[in-house]
Amino acid sequence: MAGKKWTTTPKSYVTIAMVSYLIIASIGSKNTTGILNGLIAVGVALAVDYLYCTFTNRKSSKDGTIITGLIISLILSVTTPWPIVAGTAMIAIVSKHLLVYKKKPIFNPAALGLLVSIFIFHTGQSWWGAFGDLPVWTIILLLIGGYLVTGKVNKYPQVFSFFATLFVLLFLMGQLHIGDAPDALRPPFINAALFFGFFMLTDPPTSPATYKKQVIFGCLVALSGTIIYGLFGGLTYLFIGLFVGNLYHYLNKHSMKN
Amino acid sequence: MKKMDKKWVILCSTAIAAIYAADYVSTDTQAAIDQPMQHIANNVQKYHKSNNNKVINRTPKSLYKNGTYIGTGTNRRGSIDVAVTIKNDKVINVEISNFEMHYSESDIVELPNEVVQNQSAKVTNVSGATYSTKAFEDAVQDALYQAKNVAG
Repeated sequence: MAGKKWTTTPKSYVTIAMVSYLIIASIGSKNTTGILNGLIAVGVALAVDYLYCTFTNRKSSKDGTIITGLIISLILSVTTPWPIVAGTAMIAIVSKHLLVYKKKPIFNPAALGLLVSIFIFHTGQSWWGAFGDLPVWTIILLLIGGYLVTGKVNKYPQVFSFFATLFVLLFLMGQLHIGDAPDALRPPFINAALFFGFFMLTDPPTSPATYKKQVIFGCLVALSGTIIYGLFGGLTYLFIGLFVGNLYHYLNKHSMKN
Repeated sequence: MKKMDKKWVILCSTAIAAIYAADYVSTDTQAAIDQPMQHIANNVQKYHKSNNNKVINRTPKSLYKNGTYIGTGTNRRGSIDVAVTIKNDKVINVEISNFEMHYSESDIVELPNEVVQNQSAKVTNVSGATYSTKAFEDAVQDALYQAKNVAG
């Protein structure tokens, strides 16, 4: 695809945002390990994708693969050993090819890879690329990138329903003193929620297109994720929420076909 | 599909920002309670005592006072309390007395033994549990600071 045309695609918006965040967060934390992890994650993701597509004679989506690798490296801690970064990227790409319906992945590859890696490798998610350890004002950069991407993929109803439901539920949790609502509303966890809502929730193949279904999808992800957070705390709640949302989208497509 | 009207985008964004602001303000008191310094102060008052409920002062030359001291390590991802028992200037036992990190406690269960073995708050970084490791180190250091014999 020609360079000028590429820059107008939704995937280009996400790629540019992810690369920008990788560079900004690395400068902010004065640490280049994150960039190295980014190169490893993207390299392994592309290699696994290439091998799978060559052997199965399938078409490869290089943009999507690069985005998956970048997201993984921005969420895993910069101190994560490179074999674990590579393993997480590999799981994500394998899931993208094996867990499919009508040639589209059922689950968000990066979220599934990160969720599985928590249980296999005991990885700690730092969300450093969402500026979790940088000054609060850097959240503005998340919002700018997030609104641009959300607008481009036409997912505002989904993003708004997700955040509205999440914040209402956290308000109730705070009032009823259930779980740890104050933490979820403050850095680095609010950074994680924003990054997740704008860049992972909006993945077109794994989320619905119509506005009505987008609203249900956003509510469902927030509701299931918040229940997990209220019951168990931890950092898996966003991924598990998205897992439930992806299942809803899959069942919708499946029931429409039947 | 037609894109959402900009007016609606602004309206929805404002409404969500308002809900978030209400959330933030309403949980402010709860968040303030979890502030590290207050946490440490509470622990010092509560636990600054030996096993038989009083600090045993040793000779002025000793580095630490005998007893069990609770230290706290806090960062943006939670907090850890450790109970460090000191006898004759040696750390004889370390226990994780409270774990409120957003990660699994099982990642760092070996660290208390490492402190006793090495006789140091500095432990090997646990892969994938960097924030818990750092909070644990800070907690042990905090306990050792409390135990330090000023006269020594």
